Amino acid sequence: MIVKDGLFYTKTHEWVKLEGDVATIGITDFAQNQLTDIVYVDLPKIGAMLKAGDVAGTVESVKSAEDFYSPLTGKVTDVNKTLEKTPEAINKDAYSAWLYKMKVSNPSEVNSMMKKEDYEKFIKK
Amino acid sequence: MRTSLFEEHVKLNAKFVDFHGWEMPIQYTSIIEEHKQVRSKAGIFDVSHMGDIIIEGKDAQDFISYLLPSDLSKAEVGKAVYSAYLNSDANMIDDTIAYKMSEERFLVIPNAATTDKIYNWIIKNKKDFKVVVSNISNKLSCIALQGPSASEVMKNIMPEANKLDHFTFMNASSKFPSKGLEDSTSVARTGYTGEDGFEFIIPNEHAPKLWEELLRNSDVKPIGLGARDTLRMEKGFLLSGQDFNEDRNPIEAGISWIINWDHEFIGKNILEKKKDNVKEKFRGLLSLDRTIPRNGNIIKLNGEEIGKLTSGTFSPSLSKGIGLGYLRADIKFDTEVTIVGKTGEGKGIIKKPRLV
Repeated sequence: MIVKDGLFYTKTHEWVKLEGDVATIGITDFAQNQLTDIVYVDLPKIGAMLKAGDVAGTVESVKSAEDFYSPLTGKVTDVNKTLEKTPEAINKDAYSAWLYKMKVSNPSEVNSMMKKEDYEKFIKK
Repeated sequence: MRTSLFEEHVKLNAKFVDFHGWEMPIQYTSIIEEHKQVRSKAGIFDVSHMGDIIIEGKDAQDFISYLLPSDLSKAEVGKAVYSAYLNSDANMIDDTIAYKMSEERFLVIPNAATTDKIYNWIIKNKKDFKVVVSNISNKLSCIALQGPSASEVMKNIMPEANKLDHFTFMNASSKFPSKGLEDSTSVARTGYTGEDGFEFIIPNEHAPKLWEELLRNSDVKPIGLGARDTLRMEKGFLLSGQDFNEDRNPIEAGISWIINWDHEFIGKNILEKKKDNVKEKFRGLLSLDRTIPRNGNIIKLNGEEIGKLTSGTFSPSLSKGIGLGYLRADIKFDTEVTIVGKTGEGKGIIKKPRLV
């Protein structure tokens, strides 16, 4: 299972890449592997205000439908529309197939998230 | 628990799941790819977790015909008969294939999760029937070869099996010899995918070699339980424990053809009372939008609940959502309904369970 350096991770298997106050958010390689073939992604609306822990959308695979959660608080500024046509891109590379971007209210929220080594330990449990 | 093919799955880099206590491959590469492989060429499945129970003795035929709503005395030797065990309420405990090896010897294949339950059920109902019942599940493996290329593949494995008609079987102990299991070792023209295919019921020690031999053919790929589920759903085949679990009779479940009313069997009296009062029937559902129907989804018509799904998935063949479940029997095919899903409501249309 691939876990990338420089990203922040949640217990619900989302990843965050933080650049200034802009966060790019996706689900992890571990999550896509657990889900099996992804066939549909329900993305948040641009402009939506999300609090850390809010349901941001849903990823549906052949086997199941799972919500994903916003790791941070802020406003949705962009969504990865290409996933509407090619949701399987998440299975191919979960770290380039991002779900949405947000302008975060408080970048220091990432301090409570896991880094690479912690997340690797977490998914081995 | 692990089957005799566990190491083969590890070598193939399978992703494993716990299936009723069995460590089984859910997929090797992708459920959708594996599904399409079986619909277009051929695939092999490890289904060794399923049970194998032998019923033999002077009364074997009478006994098994009492256990099942099917009358096995009407079947020829060499027939594989799909049927189901009914409890005293006429609800299905498990479905099964019964192989008639002779009038005094039958092999029944219960599902993995229900093997012990069915063994105990058979013993409990044995009473004065002169039969010996043996659970030989841990001695036999089962490999299913399925797909339109199955008979082509079989030419290099066991060409004589291509003479088999659908739902018949033959002894295969000359190719897979094992002391004490000669009478049980079989190849049947059966399956759970709706495609042509064969199921090898063979001694454990032969399973890894046969598995590797089958994979040497470039038209054959290993298929996990994930695709096994999507393949059976497209064809409307019931999954024991999910589409019924001692709560549905065979008429509701749409398999009334297994019932032979001209003989005595467990649950018959109750089933006769229920048969003219069937309120819900097993139906197929095609999604009309992006909704993927799931087990447990409520189905509504004009705001009123008319039933519930027991299975659902994204159909790789149709590239849309499909479902199976029990809906009010009076509602006609091709009626548009509302699927109440996790992500909101979607539109669907009622069809026969066989959707592909």
